[in-house]
Amino acid sequence: MKPATQMMKQVLRGGVAVIAAMVIGSVPFSFAQESVAVRATLVTGGLPLDDPNAAAWSGAVPATFPMSPQVHWPNRIQEVTVKDVAVRALHDGKQVAFLLEYSDPTQDPDDAAAFEFMVGDKKAHFAHGQPMLQVEGGPVNIWFWKNKAGKATDMTAKGFGTLKAQEHQDVKASGAYANGTWKVVFSRNLSTDHPEEDVQITPGQFISIAFAVWDGRKDAVGELVEKGSQKAVSSWWYFRADAPPDYSSYMYAAVAAALALGFQFVLIRKLKKGQ
Amino acid sequence: MGALGKPIILMVAMYLFLKFVLPNIPGSAPLPSSLIFLYLLLTAAGIIIFETLSGESKDAFWGPMQRFLTGENIGGLQALRYGVLVLFPLLVGWQTYGSTASSDAPPAESRTIHPAPPGEYTGLSNPVPKTPENIMQGKGFYAAFCSPCHGGNFDGKGPAARGYNPPPANFADPTTIAMLQESYLFWRIKKGGVGLPIEGAPWKSAMPRWEVELPDEWIWKIIMGEYDGAHQSPRTWE
Repeated sequence: MKPATQMMKQVLRGGVAVIAAMVIGSVPFSFAQESVAVRATLVTGGLPLDDPNAAAWSGAVPATFPMSPQVHWPNRIQEVTVKDVAVRALHDGKQVAFLLEYSDPTQDPDDAAAFEFMVGDKKAHFAHGQPMLQVEGGPVNIWFWKNKAGKATDMTAKGFGTLKAQEHQDVKASGAYANGTWKVVFSRNLSTDHPEEDVQITPGQFISIAFAVWDGRKDAVGELVEKGSQKAVSSWWYFRADAPPDYSSYMYAAVAAALALGFQFVLIRKLKKGQ
Repeated sequence: MGALGKPIILMVAMYLFLKFVLPNIPGSAPLPSSLIFLYLLLTAAGIIIFETLSGESKDAFWGPMQRFLTGENIGGLQALRYGVLVLFPLLVGWQTYGSTASSDAPPAESRTIHPAPPGEYTGLSNPVPKTPENIMQGKGFYAAFCSPCHGGNFDGKGPAARGYNPPPANFADPTTIAMLQESYLFWRIKKGGVGLPIEGAPWKSAMPRWEVELPDEWIWKIIMGEYDGAHQSPRTWE
């Protein structure tokens, strides 16, 4: 009986030390993350699929991303109008809706904006999936909206000069301009029948996303200042549609706490008997 | 509680030393929490071995703990005992939750800033003579092609830099071109972001593949202009 009691005591001593060290040691793990991802909140009921001013958008957290003039390939541009974009998203388990917001002093017919996604498992260069020399890249899916078109074009690219509209148009978009701000809603089903060219959105998974904006203003001689590759672009960031709530961690925690309680109970009983 | 006091003080002192003293010793760095945990575990194991060497010290060590747990003749510590008995299962539950709950953090990004160049780009020397004229010409090319991102002051803070992640390299920083050879810069400028190996995350880099737009001679002159403008010297093996 005596050795068993001693063993229990040692186990307890070790257990307390382990827990104490885990508690102390885990504190520095909770580091702050910069805003690097768009999060689509899961909602029940209707999504504001074509309404940039819907009240439902206030329930989505905006993420802000800085923009740069496109310099990766010619024709380049030195300065662009739009310096930041704010992006929100909502999904209902079937469809996703994005709200893109940015400041633009003037409303022009050629104002345009686009979302870009990596498609499939292969990494794609953020500049239209430009081929990489040492890494085999994948294609990108581009959702392009233009003010005067009043709709979205669902596109695919894999390198310069390969951008083309898809045969199957799955994306909707509509924009509203007020007080120097564009609000554009893009929407699509989470999944489509064409996974080789369309981004497939699985709730809970992070997907690479990037943005582009063209200010459709014209210069003194009537030429568009921002057009084609002369645009504002972002780097790759992340997008994730929230997974349905998962309560299994609470269950595991309850089971673990119950086991610890039982362990305490048995240990104290043994100690009392031993004496 | 004398036999228990010392081990507790030792554990706390060890933690404080690892956490706050050790990182401040010159040449050291903050310890990862996993390493602190391991050291504390070893300390605890050492204490237990030491305290259980003889029967006498064993009783002195375990006795107070045993009395505390069973609650016999501990008087005022009874409240603390209940506190520990309630807190322990809660801590175990909390730790379990923390390790099984799904994380909201995006995938970790580990990117090698200066990955190894392909073999043919090691050890090349700059074929352009280092004359004031050539350096000046290089600075002119730099101003035209590189400064929008890398900055007129060679500090990586050009007007086009803000949206790019990773940010353009800061050549005035002693950890960039000062620790690289000229042939390395030649490779990076020639092949650009898309020329990086997988550990360099080529899909994120905005650096143009200048070989399709600029002749080699201009690139060598730009390299000269960069070192001169940033007040750095290329790394050499001599």
